[in-house]
Amino acid sequence: MASPPPSALYTPTFLLALLTTLLLCLTLRALAILPSRSPKPRLRTPGTPTRVVIVLGSGGHTQEMLYLLRDLDPAKYTHRTWVVSSGDAFSAGRAVAFESEMESRAGSGHGKNVGPGTFDVVTVPRARSIHQSLLTTLGSSLRCLCACFAPLLGFTTASSMAQAPTKDLPDLIVTNGPATACILVFAALLLRFFNVRGAQSRGKCTTVYAESFARVKTLSLSGKLLVRVVDRFLVQWEGLEGVGGGRAEFVGVLV
Amino acid sequence: MSKVCFVTTGATAPFRKLIEAALSPASLDAFLQCGVTHIFIQYGTAKDVYQSSAEAARQYLNENGTEHKLNIDGMDFDSSGLIEQFKLVKQTQGLAISHAGSGSILEGLRFQVPLIVVPNTALLDNHQEELAVAMDRAGYVIHGNVDHLAPAIEASEGFRTKMAQFPPATAGKERKVKSFANIMDETVGFTDFNNE
Repeated sequence: MASPPPSALYTPTFLLALLTTLLLCLTLRALAILPSRSPKPRLRTPGTPTRVVIVLGSGGHTQEMLYLLRDLDPAKYTHRTWVVSSGDAFSAGRAVAFESEMESRAGSGHGKNVGPGTFDVVTVPRARSIHQSLLTTLGSSLRCLCACFAPLLGFTTASSMAQAPTKDLPDLIVTNGPATACILVFAALLLRFFNVRGAQSRGKCTTVYAESFARVKTLSLSGKLLVRVVDRFLVQWEGLEGVGGGRAEFVGVLV
Repeated sequence: MSKVCFVTTGATAPFRKLIEAALSPASLDAFLQCGVTHIFIQYGTAKDVYQSSAEAARQYLNENGTEHKLNIDGMDFDSSGLIEQFKLVKQTQGLAISHAGSGSILEGLRFQVPLIVVPNTALLDNHQEELAVAMDRAGYVIHGNVDHLAPAIEASEGFRTKMAQFPPATAGKERKVKSFANIMDETVGFTDFNNE
């Protein structure tokens, strides 16, 4: 008796089994990369090059983020990438002003990690404009997502401004909730999912989200979306402690 | 000796009722009682409300023979921020009254002056009221009611000596909480998670 042709394999049962296996694999992988309850990083000696990506949003988010970062030590965080949305000249300007302030505080000199070459400002297309319809939001979010990979995968330094950017992933991603931040965190999760350049195995792209100081009893939309996927979710008021299935850490007023 | 009260109502959507409340007879009496000599109002785009309220207020002061004790002045919006106004309040040991937008609150708090925060109850689904209540409970600000502003103004003098330090101390002996920098450090591993 002749064996059945291979096409006979494609029965509904077989497809179902295949789909189930695939889903199981994806779920297991997602569970593996999603944050554990007690993130405990390897100890890092000061002086280790450390890259941080900071996502800025429109007015209020940017102002709060700069308050959060007021003690940022460039000796530790040797390269900063500021991500702003297109059309948000205010945030881009504030990022540059913050860097120059840090530079004048530190004083010039080699190894201080301040000034040109130690930071870059990257503009990505806006994820969503006010009053934008849901359908076009999907398109603009996708464009934003594609653009978010660049600041994650590499960065520019002054000497290499004209050359290709230096390739490495950020050690830390900090945000406080503009729409762009959700997209960028999602991009970082994708990199970890596929372990691109060791994003997962080298412990890169750790995410920290600080909920706005203005949120006392309920999370913002970005907060709700991100509470279960970021590595640390910080809230500034006691009433939000433990929301998101126990994930929110109450840390007091940070701004 | 002069003493300034600065009232800020927001730039984009001015809080009209706050302008009226600050210049109401009850508030004016409270200002005089606290020794305030200058009221300076940032009215944003609500110039009409400011002008009519200021007119009525001056008339009220005139009737009581106190017009020389209390000056009323205003401006639309200063793009350079509110820093100069808060500095003036600080120098004259005055007070500030603000709408409950987090931007103005955060700017004002850093000057360690008595700050009355007044939520705009007309705004639906916003969290100004919650924030004002929480900030008041923590001892950072006085939560003011736009319909009864005078009690909050009267409370501002006593508040000056007992208001909580902002931002909370994150270093040294009085340290109570971690700063965001501490949290970043422990997350990437610059400091030990448990020791810090």
